[in-house]
Amino acid sequence: MPSINSLTDVPRKELHVFYVLDTSGSMAGQKISALNHAMEECTEALKTLAKSNGDAKLKVAVLEFNSGCKWVTINGPEDLEEDFEYEYLKAGGLTDIGAALKELNSKLSRHAFLNSMTGALMPVIIFMTDGYATDDYDKALAEIRQNRWFSRATKIGFALGDSPDVKMISEIVGNSEAVIKTTDLDLFKRLMRFVSVTASMLVSQSHTTETESSGRHIVSLAKEDLNVPQSANVQLNDNQYNKEPDPVPDNSTWDDDDEW
Amino acid sequence: MSEILESGYKVKTLFKEEITVKDFIAEGGQGAVYKVDYRGEEKALKWYKKGSLGNNPEAFYENVKNNVLKGSPSEEFLWPLDITEWTDGTFGYVMDLRPSGYAEITQFMLTHVRFSSYRAIIDAALHIVSAFRALHNAGYSYQDLNDGNFFINWQNGKVLICDNDNVAPDGTETGIIGKPRYMAPEIVLGKNKPDSLSDRFSMSIILYILFCLNHPLEGKRYLVAGLTPELQEKLYGSEPLFMMDPENDSNGPHPVVHKNSIVVWQCLPDYIKKIFLDSFSKKACEKPSSRPKEIDWIKALTRFRSEIVPCTCGNEIFTKENEPCKCDSCGKVINIAFKLELSEYSIPAVKDSRIYRCQLGVCDEKDALSPVARVLEKRDAPGVLGIKNMSENRWDAVTSKGMAKKVASGDVVPLKNGIRFTVFDETVMIKSNN
Repeated sequence: MPSINSLTDVPRKELHVFYVLDTSGSMAGQKISALNHAMEECTEALKTLAKSNGDAKLKVAVLEFNSGCKWVTINGPEDLEEDFEYEYLKAGGLTDIGAALKELNSKLSRHAFLNSMTGALMPVIIFMTDGYATDDYDKALAEIRQNRWFSRATKIGFALGDSPDVKMISEIVGNSEAVIKTTDLDLFKRLMRFVSVTASMLVSQSHTTETESSGRHIVSLAKEDLNVPQSANVQLNDNQYNKEPDPVPDNSTWDDDDEW
Repeated sequence: MSEILESGYKVKTLFKEEITVKDFIAEGGQGAVYKVDYRGEEKALKWYKKGSLGNNPEAFYENVKNNVLKGSPSEEFLWPLDITEWTDGTFGYVMDLRPSGYAEITQFMLTHVRFSSYRAIIDAALHIVSAFRALHNAGYSYQDLNDGNFFINWQNGKVLICDNDNVAPDGTETGIIGKPRYMAPEIVLGKNKPDSLSDRFSMSIILYILFCLNHPLEGKRYLVAGLTPELQEKLYGSEPLFMMDPENDSNGPHPVVHKNSIVVWQCLPDYIKKIFLDSFSKKACEKPSSRPKEIDWIKALTRFRSEIVPCTCGNEIFTKENEPCKCDSCGKVINIAFKLELSEYSIPAVKDSRIYRCQLGVCDEKDALSPVARVLEKRDAPGVLGIKNMSENRWDAVTSKGMAKKVASGDVVPLKNGIRFTVFDETVMIKSNN
């Protein structure tokens, strides 16, 4: 009979939380500081949750965009059960969100970041911007929408400050109700932590008949729990700008490989 | 997250007591747990996040309140003892603090904590099954059985079951359907709402995890690159397939990823394999009423417990039909000198062997785990064994020479070939293996 000490931990799927963050020049000052603090709190909270998570192995990847884009987690997604320290970002440059989408698309693949032997769950992707794109993001967005990991991800958007392009961010996350708009930096920090924790713990929580994993659902929970003012709602007629195709019925099989 | 309750915060309860918050203990999905002062004692307070009270917060409150009023069905439950008044759109309930020496099943799954022995695993399994027997027998169902509900003592297998807020009279819809990966197929598919039969399925998943450190339905198919919600519905709902199914290995264990199952399963006795196979068979997945009952588990687990013999090196040996066997840790050959023949099977009679009520014919389920007999070593003569009457009834014994004797409660009978005694209309025979 095998020694109890020879058994290994249960196999778990990986669950990736992606942060795609605007660090352009307009973020300078209090905004970048709030973002850094928010990210620090998010990663600390996720680290705590990761240590006792029997449902998924939590990983985090951070992509910043300004003039071009760059992975802050340079070695690929970081295992949150290991030592991971969030490094503060600096603001400067343009708002090349198209470049970020292109880069994200290239890594959302089983041949890139999502290459675990046990496979992965649908990722969580959190976008944050305070401005308007300075590159042509339409083509990159059209391409990433064809990526099944992206289209099935839980996507949430933050539109920060006085003049964010809420239409663009709504287009990217695919639903204006999955976007929160705020100028209140303290509220932003609390919201970032709430949506990060809630989205990454959905697989570990008891569900009701109403539970969904959509960004829209998580944003509505955040608004209820944190008493978010009405002004944070992004009210757009999604039909006018959202070109995300209807979700294709998923007909993947157990042996499915290359497409992922 | 929600506002954290400050130390010193006071709130009134249903029983007109005042709770004072002392310390923050932990935060979970639904809310946070605090150490509080309640009637001059330290207790735990579970305090809900406003957004996690479900679709009908008033009904949820009433259900917890009813559980407080009705009281706990068995000591394994960390049952709600009192409930607070509604406060700023939410509330909490009071329960006992978790004692030290206990860990969540999740910690065992991640091997942050390990059981001290297989006997401790079996005892944990027995405590879990017997707690759910008591709960179901009292007319409740748990509804949300998952790995986060249990605290287990890794030394002695004692169990504490928490999160009793969704426990409701069997058949009540609380709005909660359960945690992904632990729901029964009919719940995943939305064909039914949680009840005591779906509890049984979820409980079997937990029991398999305790022994094999794998999820029983997560074999090769689970390893698909991207597990979409649609594939999850197949895996746990429409096409569930036990990874150890002997007839269909399309969801079988992967040699590396599922090594735990491969090494443990081959050592499990046939009747334990059978009860797992019965729990996750196509029939059990499709027809909830065909799932093994708590008493079936108790019978299989007590037998398993009886057949484990400790080696002098500290290792445990799964014996089979009392045959001599070799310790696979130190290589020593273990001879089992005596066995106890029960009506359906026999068990090794070694130091600390036990006979439970359920191993002797038909019994009332609530008595299933009452001790009947236990093998002891004579204090002044190591190696000399006797069997003690642990029951409250007198045994009618017949000596090896055919003489009738009475064995009172607490008395000890020496282990000698041919002695037999009758308890609860069942005869137990002591036999030498040599």
